[in-house]
Amino acid sequence: MTDKPNPLVIENIEKSFQTGFLNLKKVKAVKGISLTIKRGEIFGLLGPNGAGKTTTLKMVTGLIFPDKGKISIFGKSSSKATARSEVGFLPENPWFYDYLTAREFLSMAGGIFSIPSDTVKKRSEELLEKLGIAHAADIPMRKYSKGMLQRAGLAQALINNPELIILDEPLSGLDPIGRRELREIILDLRKEGKTVVFSSHILADVEDICDSVAIIAKGKLRETGKLSELLLKGQSYFEIFATGVHNTISELCKSVDETVVVEKTISGTRIQVSTSEISNNILKKLVMENIEIKKFDSHKKSLEDLFMESSSNKSDEEK
Amino acid sequence: MGAIFSIGLNTFREAIRSKVFYSMALFAILIVITGHFLADISLHQEKRVLLDIGTGLISFFALMLSIFTGTSIIYKEIEKKTIYLILSKPVERWKFIAGKTAGLLATIFTVVGIMLIFFLLELYLMRISPGTNILKATILILSEVIVVVAITIFFSSFTSPFITGMLTIGMVAIGRLLPDLKHIIQMKYEPDFIRSSVESLLQIFPQLYLFIPNGHDFNGVHVSITSDFVNWSFTFWSTAYALTYSGIFLFLASIILSKRDLT
Ligand SMILES: Nc1ncnc2c1ncn2[C@@H]1O[C@H](COP(=O)(O)OP(=O)(O)O)[C@@H](O)[C@H]1O
Ligand SMILES: [Mg+2]
Repeated sequence: MTDKPNPLVIENIEKSFQTGFLNLKKVKAVKGISLTIKRGEIFGLLGPNGAGKTTTLKMVTGLIFPDKGKISIFGKSSSKATARSEVGFLPENPWFYDYLTAREFLSMAGGIFSIPSDTVKKRSEELLEKLGIAHAADIPMRKYSKGMLQRAGLAQALINNPELIILDEPLSGLDPIGRRELREIILDLRKEGKTVVFSSHILADVEDICDSVAIIAKGKLRETGKLSELLLKGQSYFEIFATGVHNTISELCKSVDETVVVEKTISGTRIQVSTSEISNNILKKLVMENIEIKKFDSHKKSLEDLFMESSSNKSDEEK
Repeated sequence: MGAIFSIGLNTFREAIRSKVFYSMALFAILIVITGHFLADISLHQEKRVLLDIGTGLISFFALMLSIFTGTSIIYKEIEKKTIYLILSKPVERWKFIAGKTAGLLATIFTVVGIMLIFFLLELYLMRISPGTNILKATILILSEVIVVVAITIFFSSFTSPFITGMLTIGMVAIGRLLPDLKHIIQMKYEPDFIRSSVESLLQIFPQLYLFIPNGHDFNGVHVSITSDFVNWSFTFWSTAYALTYSGIFLFLASIILSKRDLT
């Protein structure tokens, strides 16, 4: 298991588009993004509108080609069609053929993967049922609501029982119930050992269910890592307020860690520590020495702070 | 083969159920019936005229249908982003082109088939036996459809439906009028090298006059379904030409689409 290649490795990809009159203007949509997505995780690609999420996912799924950089899916270059045989993709706001039914579309999707037709039939039934569109399986998809299209889109993305599932803004356009159902489905996929990558511009979607996240803004990767680590990384410092002989406290603290900041204040002593490990040790010592702790605070940046900070970070945008 | 078949089948299903298709089929039937009245009011021998007009109308309508449906088929997929659902799967882009072409041809062949059934019924009612000529004419009509569809798919792989339509109509007009154009060039008193280079330039265009029931053979000699119609060998070689010509255009379309960003 462990020596199998990662589901998705993105190395320093860049992409610009020609726009405007006579295609003279160049828009850099993605400016060197690298990501590694590990087996079995739910990976959230978070970023405001226009950040470059869709552009990135389109490069991954072979719809557009990177100007620079490399993408490999289970070790195969994304430029090869076969790299996508274990991939399921739900595009942003999927749109289907007007006169085809969901069942027909699923059978075509299965055919493209060269899956035997009875397997496709069986799997279609399961998916239509699971995604709650079985009742509409035989009506033309032009009559579907946005939520139903999203569900049909997910069904076609799962028809090949993919190992890697890529969803572009899967929660948008769904009502609260639909959102909760979709979250359940994503969590179920992880239970089955699948890898899920999904993009969103809404923080809460990502915070709830992701193991790892990447925050991108203006075509650049701002933060990436395990959600828990990112949250920890955001904790700028811990504060301990204690009362007692200042010098004793100070010595005690310095014996734990040299870098601890100890200040005398009107009401006692303020201790500032950078990691939870050091603060724990100090707290233990203080308790052992019967020094009264008046207050303990962790000043922690939420993912939201991180997200807002990253996406409004203008300093390194135009250069 | 699975992918091409699946894409083709669904292209056919999608097309055959559209309102456009129903109106096309209805219109096709009307056209064939109109042929009857045209033949009726003409002063010539009824049998001759009905065969001529009937096959001519089928040929012309098949041509229009090819241009009309072919110009938007790839563009619509990109514009409506349905292509994302297909090409994000493990399928090469040439297979997409092949599947779309096959599905579209199946659709147009169906309309031609409907027209033909009505036409044969009409001939039967009037006790006219078309013989094997009608079979040859049908094969030639379908060959022309293949060529024209391939041209539209080629243009639509890189440009808008409007430009595709214009360019295709241009190619088709030249292709159908080639014997006359060659004739004009030969009559003009031009230096030899200009004439020969224009002539070889014209070879690039689809030699569509070969496929018209009331058209010309390889040597530019006039043929008609009612009298000296083409033989089987001609039919075979014209079809072979059509397949080769359209194969080249579809190959080029595949290369262009393979390099294209689907944004
Ligand atoms: N086909 C295109 N032509 C020109 N600009 C584009 C195109 N696609 C995306 N962009 C630009 O690239 C940037 C990133 O877009 P996108 O990847 O869609 O962002 P997101 O999915 O994160 O909202 C935006 O500034 C957008 O305007
Ligand atoms: Mg997007």
